[in-house]
Amino acid sequence: MESKTRKMTSLAVAGAFAASVAAVGATPAVAADDMVKCYGIAKKGENDCKAGPGTSCSGTSTVDYQGNAWKLVKKGTCTQVSTPAGKGSLSCLTSRPAGKTYDCG
Amino acid sequence: MSRLSETQTGFAHAVRNADAAVPEGVVSHLRDKPRKRFGIYRNNVYVSLINVLEGRFPVVARLLGEEFFKATARVFVEHHPPASPVLMRYGGAFPEFLETFEPVSDLPWLPDVARLEWAWNLAYHAADRDPISPEALATIDPASADSLVFELHSAVQVVRSPYPVVTIWSENSKDREPGQIDAGAGGEDGLIVRPGIAVDVRHLPPGGAAFITALSERKTLGSAAERALAEDESFDLQANLGGLIGSGAVVALETA
Repeated sequence: MESKTRKMTSLAVAGAFAASVAAVGATPAVAADDMVKCYGIAKKGENDCKAGPGTSCSGTSTVDYQGNAWKLVKKGTCTQVSTPAGKGSLSCLTSRPAGKTYDCG
Repeated sequence: MSRLSETQTGFAHAVRNADAAVPEGVVSHLRDKPRKRFGIYRNNVYVSLINVLEGRFPVVARLLGEEFFKATARVFVEHHPPASPVLMRYGGAFPEFLETFEPVSDLPWLPDVARLEWAWNLAYHAADRDPISPEALATIDPASADSLVFELHSAVQVVRSPYPVVTIWSENSKDREPGQIDAGAGGEDGLIVRPGIAVDVRHLPPGGAAFITALSERKTLGSAAERALAEDESFDLQANLGGLIGSGAVVALETA
């Protein structure tokens, strides 16, 4: 079955392989001096405990966005991306997506 | 005296539910069941997990703005608490969550941006492997290339999107203000690799995603090329193969 639909001969594959290996041989994927190992670095927020603002008692027991998250306004760079449905919004939209109504407070 | 597992279950329930009573056995030096202090503890659990998500999905956070992102992340944390004590595994369900989170439904490309960032995270933590050396490549007889099977680096992932996800990601990964992007300009496929210790995100040419996916399923080079051609007849085997090997995605080759 497969042989009927084949568009690429093994000769073509061999040629492409040889050519791409020749091209790669000249430029190693990784320069040796890029390979410095660095230990002891945890990504932000992923260490076990964190002192400082935001995580200690500066938090409060009543902070709770759950009920009104969607009322918040997107202030980021999403406005740089235009979509068929419209641009990202800098102000609360009461009727997007169409057919639903949001309370913008 | 309750059993340990009951204590833990009750404690976890109280952490996750703001309306729940302070769990049995929680005391301060002033009183039994200190409601306000437990509330602070509960909030710190949320804040720390939100911070993890912000570090893991920095482009989504930038796109939404800090306040909106944190509010979104808080809802996610509430519905998807960590399933592992290892925080580097936290957040895999975030892209899917964004699909169903109505406040971002006017940003249909957002879940795919999150998928790319999650793939970046998996690549960052993947096991180290050296890419195949030019010497090893030189020992392979091109006449047998058709039946070669590729072993790809464990960091290698492909993210496919009907939106220009690689452009959106890269424009928002730089310090400067992103340029205007047309989300309707057509889809993009991204290749995530990590040849050394730095994660690299590349925009794949036509057919590239099908090609690499087939190779990752241990199809032979010949049949992977066939599959890529079937998906896009402009597929260029030499360019894709050279790009793949050059990106450090290939660690070994064997004949099937």
